[in-house]
Amino acid sequence: MTKRTLLYLIVCVCFLPGMAWERKGVTFSGSIQSDMLVPFRDNGTGAEKTGNFLTNTYADLLMQSQYINAGARLEFLEYPLPGFEKDFKGWGVPHFWMNGRVGKVELTAGTFYEQFGSGFILRTYEERSLGIDNSLLGARVVVKPFKGITIKALSGVQRRYWEWNESLISGADAEIGLGEYIPSFQKSGTNITLGGSWVNKYEWSEEKIYISPLYRLRIPKFVNAWDARINFSHGPWNVLGEYAQKSDDPSLANQYIYKKGSAVMLTGSYSGKSLSVLLQAKRSENMSFKSTNEVSKAIGISSSINHLPAFTQDQTYALAALYPYATQLADGEWAYQAEVGYNFKRKTWLGGRYGMNLKANLSYVRAIDRQFYDGNDLVQKTNGYTSKFFKWGDQTYYRSIDATLTRKFSKAFKLSLMYVNQRYNQLAVEGHGGMVHSNIFIADGKCQFSPKVTLRCELQYLTTKQDQGDWAYGLLELSLAPHWMVTVSDMWNCGETKLHYYQGLVTYNIRQHRIQAGYGRTRAGYNCSGGVCRYVPASTGFTISYNYSF
Amino acid sequence: MMLTACDHIAEDERLIYEAMITDMSPDNGQEEDEAEVTKRVVLLEDFTGQNCTNCPKATEIIEQLQEACGDVLVAVSLHGGPLSFAGSARAVGLKTATADEYYNYWHFEYQPIGLVNRHGAVDYQMWATAVKEELTKPTPLRLEGSAVLADNVITIQMNATGIKGNTTGKLQVWLLEDGIKAVQRMPEGPANQEYIHNHVFRTAVNGTWGEDFSISEGETKQQTMTQAFDTRWNSNKLSIVAFVYNDSGVQQVAKFEVKV
Repeated sequence: MTKRTLLYLIVCVCFLPGMAWERKGVTFSGSIQSDMLVPFRDNGTGAEKTGNFLTNTYADLLMQSQYINAGARLEFLEYPLPGFEKDFKGWGVPHFWMNGRVGKVELTAGTFYEQFGSGFILRTYEERSLGIDNSLLGARVVVKPFKGITIKALSGVQRRYWEWNESLISGADAEIGLGEYIPSFQKSGTNITLGGSWVNKYEWSEEKIYISPLYRLRIPKFVNAWDARINFSHGPWNVLGEYAQKSDDPSLANQYIYKKGSAVMLTGSYSGKSLSVLLQAKRSENMSFKSTNEVSKAIGISSSINHLPAFTQDQTYALAALYPYATQLADGEWAYQAEVGYNFKRKTWLGGRYGMNLKANLSYVRAIDRQFYDGNDLVQKTNGYTSKFFKWGDQTYYRSIDATLTRKFSKAFKLSLMYVNQRYNQLAVEGHGGMVHSNIFIADGKCQFSPKVTLRCELQYLTTKQDQGDWAYGLLELSLAPHWMVTVSDMWNCGETKLHYYQGLVTYNIRQHRIQAGYGRTRAGYNCSGGVCRYVPASTGFTISYNYSF
Repeated sequence: MMLTACDHIAEDERLIYEAMITDMSPDNGQEEDEAEVTKRVVLLEDFTGQNCTNCPKATEIIEQLQEACGDVLVAVSLHGGPLSFAGSARAVGLKTATADEYYNYWHFEYQPIGLVNRHGAVDYQMWATAVKEELTKPTPLRLEGSAVLADNVITIQMNATGIKGNTTGKLQVWLLEDGIKAVQRMPEGPANQEYIHNHVFRTAVNGTWGEDFSISEGETKQQTMTQAFDTRWNSNKLSIVAFVYNDSGVQQVAKFEVKV
């Protein structure tokens, strides 16, 4: 894309908001997100002054019409926030696409995101907080020939920061909803969806990989993966079974072994008026699937073609999220999750005048059995290991038991109490330390003094004998509707370091604008979303965050 | 059909033999170019740590490489970064402030990781590949030296000869120690209290980043420097590593024992 085109897009993004127009069936919309930091050196936390002014800024522009949609995103990451790889730095318009619909056919050209099934063999997505954008640049066609049938086919190269990896990702997916064809299913509110996918990676760049000083590996040019799934739903009940397999894919992540990867998942849920239940089990093995074998690019969380959902809670409270779990894609895992939620009705003995909600979650992630060949034969070593399907490995990776009780005591006061018991294998997830056992207690109270004034208070305490010991956390958030919000918080390591991670923020909302300014410390640690984690170093400084949508 | 047919490689076809060092001497009777004949020695800087569970795997790779390459590979274990151990009243720690400074300078994000002739971070699984590539390159200078320990002072004598073009950069001299028994976390099972650490970086003799150096083709330079002996070191297990580096990476390396 030329600089002139780029400038034109920037002008469009800056001036269209003022116009906010919709004319002759063409609608323009978009958004701006800018997170800024003026960092300071902080000897207490070890935070470095990594620049004078850092920002991750994104501007999206979308044009929609009856037949054609188009979009582009300007990203300015020339001075990125701390914690991203060196290659993350840069700026430009890496996301641009056009999409046309004619009858039952939809065609997309440019960059696009896609997911087949649960994402076991293909999931391209954007997660800005982690610096993930693994979109494909190419073409995709989606055909819906008959009711309940969707067929997709795509091909493209994958984005890795400011370049495209030297491999072609191609794939196809088909789904059929039998409910559309069986009248008795329709009458009873039942549906069965069958799905199947296939993905192929063809890598034309060749990295020479030496398994020993005298032998290098012949790396397959093609890697194939397939997925089959069935989803059954009937009223409040839903059951999903999915299986995926990947062909030999020796890579840095699996230490260059020639072994098929696989993932199998069974999920069942019930969602009633008062009661909801979720039960999940998953076994995965050797499922790291990247679009490059070039070591310098394959390291870290970039270039992933697939994604395995984490069967652990994505915690939102600061101390409950202190030790987050990252899915072990290459090593594999057995993961289980059970969740029960119950709404106690209003005006009952337990529900009280305003009702009460109880939620409990159990997550358990365990290593799979892996028996490695321990001889000296190099060929045997490339086979990796043998594994009994149902047998667990020695290590527990993660276990969490939590319960949350939320009750509204009056029109003005609502309280949530949470308890979490966690076991976190720091060695498996972070590569150092051991098993961290912790108990976390959280109280979150919200008091509405008037229709415009609300005060929220969080008190949290984490107790552990491992790692850095105990932590305490307090937060006060005053909302002055409709424009203002003031937040102060402090996270204190009362165990080993005695450090305070304080933060003060002021937020102002007006129409579609939201601006937040503050000062504070952020601790070094892992930032995770959906089982994918990035290490973020400590930082101290002034922060400004601006969001706008039109 | 073609896409699916090519994804499987039979067991007996997975490995391709390639000798680590190929004979570079001409066999056609022509006069040998000195730059072609002078061996390129490769420097492998292993950023390691006693709390790093995968670091013993990296050490195994170094041992294999040393066996295959002989004296054209010089490995140095630098204990720095978050997984290094400074020691305690009961346990020996091998971390040094200088190695820590190097670790931070190179912006490494995990361990074990290394530098092969200082061309950027190389994962330990790729060291063989990187060493192989470096060995094929010519070198612009010859570097030799000797070292003697007497009266608690190590005297180091360096000799350099320019053999092709002009070389400018830095001359860096380090002191290493072999055979140190100290705790090491292992990939599986408990920490090994009896682990033997070799080629451990102890100190930089001429400053963290060395000193300015330049040499022209045909020129010979000699330099003497000294290093005070630390009584915590084992005098029978010391060696010196000297190398010349610039923006194009490490140009030549030499390793020699400290004689007592």
